[in-house]
Amino acid sequence: MLELLRQYVSDYAALTDEDFALLAAKIVVRNFDKHVKLIQPGETERYMNFVTKGLVRMYFYKGRTEVVTVLARERELISASASFLSGEPSNYFVETLEPTTLLSITRDDLEEVYRMSPRVERVGRLMTTQFVLVKEEWEQEYMRLDTRERFIRFVERDPELIQRVPQKYLASYLNMKPETFSRLKHLLKKRPVNGR
Amino acid sequence: MASYKAALDGLHRYLSHHVPLTKAEFSQLLPYIEIREFEKKVKVIDKGEIERYLNVIAWGLVRKYLPVRNREITVGLASEGHIVHSELSFHYRTPSGTVIETIEPTVFFSISYDNLQALYDHFPKAERLGRLLISDLYIRKDNRYFDQLLKSTRERFLQYVRTHPQMMQRVPQKYIASYLNIKPETFSRLKHLMRPGRR
Repeated sequence: MLELLRQYVSDYAALTDEDFALLAAKIVVRNFDKHVKLIQPGETERYMNFVTKGLVRMYFYKGRTEVVTVLARERELISASASFLSGEPSNYFVETLEPTTLLSITRDDLEEVYRMSPRVERVGRLMTTQFVLVKEEWEQEYMRLDTRERFIRFVERDPELIQRVPQKYLASYLNMKPETFSRLKHLLKKRPVNGR
Repeated sequence: MASYKAALDGLHRYLSHHVPLTKAEFSQLLPYIEIREFEKKVKVIDKGEIERYLNVIAWGLVRKYLPVRNREITVGLASEGHIVHSELSFHYRTPSGTVIETIEPTVFFSISYDNLQALYDHFPKAERLGRLLISDLYIRKDNRYFDQLLKSTRERFLQYVRTHPQMMQRVPQKYIASYLNIKPETFSRLKHLMRPGRR
């Protein structure tokens, strides 16, 4: 499990064995059933999590409607990240969709590792940058693309999630009505998706 | 009148808010920084260009917008002391989808992509400074996203007026309306809320 994490952080910056050992010493393994809420609005996020098995979503309520903003699976990070970074209460729910295993580190422990290793701090800087860029891209696509374009873009980028995530959550993530999502699924047949 | 000295002191204070820097440390950063000056209504970066710089506004005012079909959606309004750049283009080195245009004559303290990487390699405190600045950017982005989605038109208007009173004087109304995602007619109507004695 730690090997997965090591590969992941190595994509951001080269860490020595000593650097990674500092990080690994602070990691806790957490297992959850499906449909468990890891955090709710008003609570403060204590953990940054790396998914080694399973699937997690982040969402909030706009009136009575759920808005899904993140879907994270194996080899991805998940956290109520604004709350994790700011120390302020979360606006979001984070909930498992499948039985899930997380490698987690608390904010205090991560700060401590940053102080000990500038290279781990670099990984932290680059991951935080990545959060900003993913959010920016999501927002720009939201403004620029129409419903059909968002659907096609998603299918091309993430064919696997179509199989794993309940349709109502996918529709919410793409900001469309479930009926629209069902209708757009005929596009999948015309565009064979690699290997699926 | 704005002066470079005052603007640099402002930059020093702004950075030190995240990571305390001595005068000597701050002056080590200066060789990495370029000063760029622009007239008003100039495109600092256009759609399709690659963003070379991360900018902090020394003085002046810019807006950032996303051209969508025949509309311009204002996604940022920034004045003195704020960071502005086309971030996806800057970090991924891809053509920009957004345009940054000056509203007033504007001066930037700019750091190029290459200089920023060199700074990270040579200046030990830069790593932490960069991380905390980016973290701050993320938190503000998330808050703005929430305000747009969950607050009413009236609440968004009042909050902006309260927190940015000087912008109401400096920014053409249509840009503020677009930034707050409020129709221009509605925006005009809401302005009565600004009269003295009203809340």
